[in-house]
Amino acid sequence: MQLWNDFKNGLWQENPIFRLVIGLCPTLAVTNTAINGLAMGLATSFVLLASEIVISTIKKLIPNDVRIPSYILIIATFVTFVDYFLKAFFPAVAVSLSLFVPLIVVNCLILGRQEAFASKNPVHRSIADALGMGLGFTWVLVLLSIVRELLGMGAVFGFQVLGDWYQPMIIMILPAGAFISLGILVGIMNYIARKGVRK
Amino acid sequence: MRKLLITLTVLGLISAFALAFVYQWTMPKILQHQEVGKKDAILTVLPESEQYQEVRKGDLTFYEGNKNGEVAMVASGGGFQGQIEVMIGFNPAAGKVYSIKVLNHQETPGLGAYITGGKFESNFVDKPFGEYKVVKRPVKSAHEVEAIAGATISSEKVAEIVEKAIKEIREVYGGEI
Repeated sequence: MQLWNDFKNGLWQENPIFRLVIGLCPTLAVTNTAINGLAMGLATSFVLLASEIVISTIKKLIPNDVRIPSYILIIATFVTFVDYFLKAFFPAVAVSLSLFVPLIVVNCLILGRQEAFASKNPVHRSIADALGMGLGFTWVLVLLSIVRELLGMGAVFGFQVLGDWYQPMIIMILPAGAFISLGILVGIMNYIARKGVRK
Repeated sequence: MRKLLITLTVLGLISAFALAFVYQWTMPKILQHQEVGKKDAILTVLPESEQYQEVRKGDLTFYEGNKNGEVAMVASGGGFQGQIEVMIGFNPAAGKVYSIKVLNHQETPGLGAYITGGKFESNFVDKPFGEYKVVKRPVKSAHEVEAIAGATISSEKVAEIVEKAIKEIREVYGGEI
């Protein structure tokens, strides 16, 4: 039950993007196409999961004074792994995410969860937390990038769904479009959340 | 104090070991992708050739196509943030650039990164040799190149790289401006 709650937490109540509003740099930068959003979400989830497992396992061995550098070192190791892995097996994705993969190191979502959760909780709960947070991050990224790709290019996951009559709104795939659509989505989510409370 | 040093040293060592294995495992595959990418790029910038031959002349490597005296080469230079590497196809006899394809770059995503992906590269399709002028409007003459909005420096750097390559290709293969 507790594990389920740890997992569910990231999906909605403490959703990293909608509720905690952290990890926005990749959120805004790579969500111009759905495939990029999905790849970034999965890559971040993997790093989050792997580093939460390692850190909650060895948390007692790390002196308090160097915990942040230690966390970053561990996170950076997994990020470098993901970077090489994508380049070797998914070169097309690696090219389109380019330097945002190394930048996962400084995604505050990952460091934040180590500090707030993995360093205080046992391994099995950290796994549940990482899966929940990772999925919570991924679904928002995918939703946001579908909206932007659809409005900006008339396509979803690279398939043209809107016909020639549709005049693409170029702004949606530029950085400004990321802010606009994220703002509107956060607004909608807050509205839904508030309605839920009133009931 | 000692404990801090030991913790970080041990973590650093484990991390370095792990990454060394990952590097050895993935690097051959990454290099292979780059090789395939290079081959595709050569055949893209040479419109009619289906095969090419690698030719070394002095310090430079050229890829000679099997038709029309088409020649391709890789040129690189500093961009806005890092090295830009461009594959360029030439027809020295006709004194023109067939087309270019950016192979590697580290330009800003969403701005300078648009040097790849066709639109900017199409500036150099069938471009006569010469000095290029980067302009912030649609081109009016054959020696103008339309800059990417918000990325004038990246645009100028690519034009400079092409100019430099033209110089090198003319030294070896001739060709009039």
